[in-house]
Amino acid sequence: MRFELSEDQQEIQGAARELLAGRSSFAQVRAVVEEQDAEPTGMPDLSKVPGEDAGLWKELGELGWTGIAVPEDHGGQGLGLIELVTITEELGYAVAAVPFLGSTTAALVIQHEGSDEQREDWLGHLASGELRGATTLTGDKVPVPGAAEGSLVVVADAHGGPAALYGPGSGVVEPVTAIDPTRGHGRVPIAGLDPEEELDGRGEWLGGTVTPAGPGFDRAAIVVAAELVGVMQRALDMTVSYVKDRKQFGVPVGSFQAVQHGAAQMLRDVTMARVLTYNAAWVADHGDPAEVRVAASMAKAAASEAGRTVTSAAIQLHGGIGFTWEADVHWLMKRAQIDAALLGGAGHHRRRVAGQVVAGNVPAA
Amino acid sequence: MDLTFTPEQLAFRDELRTWLREHGPEGALTPEPRDEDEQWEWRRAWQRTLHAGRWAGVHWPTEVGGRGATLSETAIFFEELGRSGAPLPADVLGILLAGPTLMVWGDDAQKDRLLPTILSADETWCQGFSEPDAGSDFGAVKTRAVRENPDDPESDWLVTGQKVWTSGAQYAKWCMLVARTDDTAGAKKHAGLTYFVLDMEQAAVDVRPLVQITGSPEFNELFLDDARIPNSMVVGGVGNGWKVALTTLMNERAGLAFFLQVRLRQQLDKLVAAAKRNGSVDDPIVADRLADLHVRTEALRLMAWKGLTAIEQYGQPGPEGSLTKWLWSETNQLLVQLAVDVVGADALTMEDSWGFELLRARGNSIEGGTTEIQKNIIAERVLGLPRAR
Repeated sequence: MRFELSEDQQEIQGAARELLAGRSSFAQVRAVVEEQDAEPTGMPDLSKVPGEDAGLWKELGELGWTGIAVPEDHGGQGLGLIELVTITEELGYAVAAVPFLGSTTAALVIQHEGSDEQREDWLGHLASGELRGATTLTGDKVPVPGAAEGSLVVVADAHGGPAALYGPGSGVVEPVTAIDPTRGHGRVPIAGLDPEEELDGRGEWLGGTVTPAGPGFDRAAIVVAAELVGVMQRALDMTVSYVKDRKQFGVPVGSFQAVQHGAAQMLRDVTMARVLTYNAAWVADHGDPAEVRVAASMAKAAASEAGRTVTSAAIQLHGGIGFTWEADVHWLMKRAQIDAALLGGAGHHRRRVAGQVVAGNVPAA
Repeated sequence: MDLTFTPEQLAFRDELRTWLREHGPEGALTPEPRDEDEQWEWRRAWQRTLHAGRWAGVHWPTEVGGRGATLSETAIFFEELGRSGAPLPADVLGILLAGPTLMVWGDDAQKDRLLPTILSADETWCQGFSEPDAGSDFGAVKTRAVRENPDDPESDWLVTGQKVWTSGAQYAKWCMLVARTDDTAGAKKHAGLTYFVLDMEQAAVDVRPLVQITGSPEFNELFLDDARIPNSMVVGGVGNGWKVALTTLMNERAGLAFFLQVRLRQQLDKLVAAAKRNGSVDDPIVADRLADLHVRTEALRLMAWKGLTAIEQYGQPGPEGSLTKWLWSETNQLLVQLAVDVVGADALTMEDSWGFELLRARGNSIEGGTTEIQKNIIAERVLGLPRAR
């Protein structure tokens, strides 16, 4: 039992944090947001995707981050979910303006649930970063990060049904302006996937046959949880630093017990989400395959719940300044709100946990 | 990350499981009696059984009857003990707190006299830290110890004052007692404290049961009126009581977390079974709350192991234990409250164990440091915020 990252994994984490501190500061994220809000002058630059730092995205592709968990024979680095989760946490910490989450989760889904042909067709392109991916559930509950006309989209039925794949240009994505302007989102309005009915011609069944969605989407949920953990950690760090600095009544507001207890609650919530997320990633890489589902749902339930409360508390503990556009804390709250709902919110995942526990699929103590 | 046990740890666990099957609730251990005194004798006998198998103090060195178990093995011991449904040994205070504290701070004479009788339960311990006016504010201890002859540095000490929440005091031979030995103005509150070992068998020590909201006297009040302590029973030096007590308090959080975490999970399994039996699990609100408890319980298990990894890396338990204690107490309280909704009327009677658990759980967020104090510790010592006002 060793509940901490290995030295190699810590090295990956440290390198990611260092790179992003220089390449995805809040000033840089803000510049991406403001560029997309600016009035267009002259010819639009078609190589640019709104809400995206194209330079950073290219760099991450070149560094191999986008394909870190993709098998080597498909052009990836063949590392585990833990390594992907470690990097994703850092990208969340930086609120990086890149379509990383959609692409890496789509690759996981195709790797674990796709047919040989689908893997052959798409994994290499996702691993290199040249193709954007997006992963979501049916029911149109959330603006989907990474979903654009040119993206590959994988969709699982939200009620335990099958999953489908929609290639680039399938027409399944509709544009949307999400509350989070730090990356591009699209709407994927598919109400449900009925195994009894034919797909509508725009997509194909994932894996080539009609089977319930499973291990790929479970892993995708773990990755989203990891981004939430990073977002929350940043919210906590910013808040702690702010309340130490900000003075009212002649003393730092962080010396007031009400403020302290709010910050303590943030730490507890992020800690719970983190241990469950890394546990789930470890189970996915090394544990009993039957336990991945419940481990993933526990992680996503905790991260979704905490993602909302922790980032909201960050705004509250920043006081008036926290409610302004000028302070950066709102980027975190916006990112967290989308991630909390993406691939199922806390209620969705607690329903799955309850189902597993009641069905006796979780061993007793 | 490696969330598996080593072959050595698995062997340790399997040996323990085999032993527990033979001697624990599935085997020779009789059911828990209802009467308080009989319960104590039952747990004392259980400790002797454990000791005979060299399981009473696995983390103790082999030369004093332990197994020199690693932290992980100790954690496994408490997980398995909890899982088996067996009780904690009677003198958990001696085994987990007094013994380890003496091993760090005691002199040879103290170790020779006091350690050998702990694991065997021949002499048991209680803890005299809290006072009516010194609960969370431990530095406010008022119980006074003075030398009988102020001019003689070897003189006996006479102790006067009141302690509360001393569980097991009516059975204990010894008390870990913190008293004020210096209250001169200007002396820092913590600096004037000394850690003693008090012999409970004297007329100047009066133990009175303190009845809790559950109706049972799990704890006591301790009244001391010139109770005598020989100078040889000062632990860690005069005026050093704060530091010695801290060793005790840190140990309090380490091993027990694993036992409590498994017990919580067992209570949850029991509640899920009840909800399945009466169909309330089909209520989406009940299902949601059960799942939330499951998530919290799993987080507790993982946090306990993460904390252990940190101890193995950095040497001693960190203030992060406060997070676990807070989460555990809150989760247990939520669990028993949900049990009232799931089980219904029975859970609000004293005939049903849930009725007792409902009341008992209110103490969880107070005993061993209130939740508010845990939050203060987290804010100041983990997050580094300025001292609270």
